[in-house]
Amino acid sequence: MHDTIHHAAATDPAKQLQPTRRGIMIGAVAAPIIIGAAGEASGQAPGALGADAVAVRISVNGTQHDLLLDPRTSLLDLLRERLDLTGAKKGCDHGQCGACTVHLDGARVASCLTMAVQAVGRRVGTIEGVSAATGALHPMQQAFIDHDALQCGYCTPGQIMAAIACVQEGHATSPEQIREYMSGNICRCGAYVGIVAAIADAAPKMQAG
Amino acid sequence: MTTNTFPDVARIDAHDKVRGATRYASDDSRPGMLHATLACATIGRGSIQSIDTSAARALRGVRLVLTHAELSRLQPAGFLLAGGYGVQSLQPLTSPNIAYFGQPIALVVAETLEVALQAAALIRTAYAVEPHQMGLDAPEADIVAQQESPLPKPMFEDVHVGDADAVFAQAAVQIDATYASAVQHHNPMELLATVAEWSEGRLTIHEGTQNAEGVRHGVARQLGIPAEQVRVISPQVGGGFGQKNSLQGQTVLAAFAARALGHSVKLVVRRSQLFHASSFRAATRHRIRLGADHGGTMLAAIHETDAQTSRHDLFPSVNAEVSARLHGIANFRARERLVRTDTQTPGYMRAPFEHMACFAFESAVDELAQALGQDPVALRLANDTQRDPVTGKPLSSRHLAECLRRGAARFGWARRSMAPGSMQDAEGQLIGWGVAAGAYKAATAPAVARLRVYDDGTALASVGVHEMGQGIRTALAAALSRKLGIEPDQITLDIGDTNSTPQHITVGSWGTATAVPAAVEAADAMLSALAELLPGDAAGRSPAEILRAAGRRSLDVAIRRKAPGQPDAVFTRLATGLPAPLGPNYPDFVSFSYIAHFVEVRVEPTTRRIRVPRVVSVADCGRVISPRTAASQVRGGVVWGIGAALREASEVDPRYGGFLNADLADYVLPVNADIGDIEVEFIDRADPLVNAMGIKGLGEVAMVGVAAAIANAVHHATGIRLRDLPIRIEHLM
Ligand code: FES
Ligand code: FES
Repeated sequence: MHDTIHHAAATDPAKQLQPTRRGIMIGAVAAPIIIGAAGEASGQAPGALGADAVAVRISVNGTQHDLLLDPRTSLLDLLRERLDLTGAKKGCDHGQCGACTVHLDGARVASCLTMAVQAVGRRVGTIEGVSAATGALHPMQQAFIDHDALQCGYCTPGQIMAAIACVQEGHATSPEQIREYMSGNICRCGAYVGIVAAIADAAPKMQAG
Repeated sequence: MTTNTFPDVARIDAHDKVRGATRYASDDSRPGMLHATLACATIGRGSIQSIDTSAARALRGVRLVLTHAELSRLQPAGFLLAGGYGVQSLQPLTSPNIAYFGQPIALVVAETLEVALQAAALIRTAYAVEPHQMGLDAPEADIVAQQESPLPKPMFEDVHVGDADAVFAQAAVQIDATYASAVQHHNPMELLATVAEWSEGRLTIHEGTQNAEGVRHGVARQLGIPAEQVRVISPQVGGGFGQKNSLQGQTVLAAFAARALGHSVKLVVRRSQLFHASSFRAATRHRIRLGADHGGTMLAAIHETDAQTSRHDLFPSVNAEVSARLHGIANFRARERLVRTDTQTPGYMRAPFEHMACFAFESAVDELAQALGQDPVALRLANDTQRDPVTGKPLSSRHLAECLRRGAARFGWARRSMAPGSMQDAEGQLIGWGVAAGAYKAATAPAVARLRVYDDGTALASVGVHEMGQGIRTALAAALSRKLGIEPDQITLDIGDTNSTPQHITVGSWGTATAVPAAVEAADAMLSALAELLPGDAAGRSPAEILRAAGRRSLDVAIRRKAPGQPDAVFTRLATGLPAPLGPNYPDFVSFSYIAHFVEVRVEPTTRRIRVPRVVSVADCGRVISPRTAASQVRGGVVWGIGAALREASEVDPRYGGFLNADLADYVLPVNADIGDIEVEFIDRADPLVNAMGIKGLGEVAMVGVAAAIANAVHHATGIRLRDLPIRIEHLM
């Protein structure tokens, strides 16, 4: 059985945790919402989910997912292990490499350092949602190809999510600035020259588009 | 021989990679997969007295906990350098003995990753602790002279040509200096990960590896099952750099657990655990003695190396293979020693010996230029050679002098003022310009290549090689496309899968020189076979047109190919997952790739911060098949050189053993802000001897010499000669 139920429209809000950022852990600990009944939502591995499981609704790339979660689940592990959105990569799990970079309400975050429950009520954007529905590539994706800003490709989804945010933040106005604001994303293959060139190339196209 | 250069085209798998669509091993997230994690030893050496896994086992969602109690009957897979398959001879969890800090002691499998991690933290272990030793300044008993060791000769024989000691003693100008390097770790961005699943007695392993065939045969041997029952799949590796060159310690654990549970298991080795779970670049010390006459002719050199190995394996040291070849020096003596330390066995990390051998030797050459008052480019040009100094054989091709000349011109070397500390920029930063040469063996491995063309204009090709970002898929597609007249995106490449052709280990920069000529040979065989389908009528027609005219849906060919001078017995090694390369020493010639690096550093006068704003690198790697990915590979190699010279060191913990800075915040890798302009140029001239395509190799030579060029530039900027890597601000205070 698949572990998510896709809702086109909102369902009973009482079943949703909609905490503020500060309130999440309190809410999850003090008043967990447990869904035990079959058919409401099902965890991927129900046996492992104990009394502290939480039910959440999380929006990823515009799709709502109702999930039962171990509250310790990171956003990265949720995306990768539960939602099969494996574009975001685990390179360190400690916020040190940037391979897991996704957007939360449009801002870049390390999804390994973001608890999944922190994403409740916010918009999660991943590399899988970057291309147009037509399949046309985002200008940043095309620029990464054009400048060969990758080798093994493992850091690439994180680089591209960071790069898009870097442009949107206004931090892509010079090569020096790009280098500085892209330094949270390690590329062990050493594709940095291409990455800087790609961002400089894509930035005006993003603004135009 | 192909004489035409290849066009600059986009990386063939980039479209998937920029969409996050490429699936690496740990991206397998099918529902119901179980998650495994390791628990590791916290002592430097000793043995497990007791291990209490009860709390872990009792945790809700835990499905299995394995320790040496369950796994002691695994068969050894052997060490890669001793006729086996493993990254080391020691397989964790098969005995209570602890050989090094961080050695895995237990595997936990649970329904979720969160539970697995919690359970692993609940394991309690009591140890009997024994003293450990981690450094190169070891007791005599821990030092092994390689020449006298059981390591096979002549492969691991000390280089000895002429009478280096006597000639050096008489030399008018003498350099005698010792250079050293810290331990470094590969740290590819992709973590080691194994997904293991069993179906009807057959095991499938998804793992990013550079050696699918070795993993297959190794794990089969460990489990005592025929290799035919194991399939290893590694279509895309998220960076290898030598770390993933063999059977890793975690693979059999995932396979064993998956069999025990009747369920697929995903085991990802955490970044902190990786510093002890796989190999590393050994700490080394190099004493170089270099003698020349007053005119600058290098007459003799002596290269003595101490390199770290483990207590349980001898990881060979082959530094002089390259240092003896850099320049035309008639008298050369090397002595390689191995120092036993209580670590996991060190291994191959990009340019494993060449990086440090050339750092040491090319620093010494710079010191010689300084002593002679000569320009370091001119000194190297004056000592060029076209004959192999070690064997006296001809070199298949050597365009190092052209690399140096082109690089000097592009860099603007003529504007360099010779005296150290004599160049500054407008803000008062010290400018230093440094140069160094690099070389790396041009080796070749045997390969089987299969090719099928279809009447719809597509093709399917399989050959033994792994894609880890070097661009081999792009190179294969480019070469096949040119031969067959089929567009690159119509060619499916089945590589890194042991269900296709034998997947020989892809390391040592032999991937392209092995796989591309094999694929092209298969394409030639295909063209002949197609011509036979339509005798006299095939000319001018595409493969698909010929097939349709002949009423065939598809046509298959297969070829096998080996290095010049290799016996047919190498195909047995190929088929059984054992390394079977040859080079640089072929029967009739010796073959190396070469590179020249020109580096500018800027040193901030008060903080002494070192920046590398620009690098120019000119490479002689024979024919370039995929110019765009090749240029990226060189840039990546330069970034590696910058990291090795200025950033990376794994800090040894003398109290408890192991490496202290085992994460990516404290093991400092180069980031974007550390890297400036890197200009790359290729000689792009086909080697006439090593293979029909004229390909040598590139992935490792790209890094060789970068660190020396940086240290030489730092000396030029500051007058301070730094001989230990990495160079840090405090060394310039
Ligand atoms: S995996 Fe999140 S920053 Fe490295
Ligand atoms: S492309 Fe390999 S880590 Fe960046």
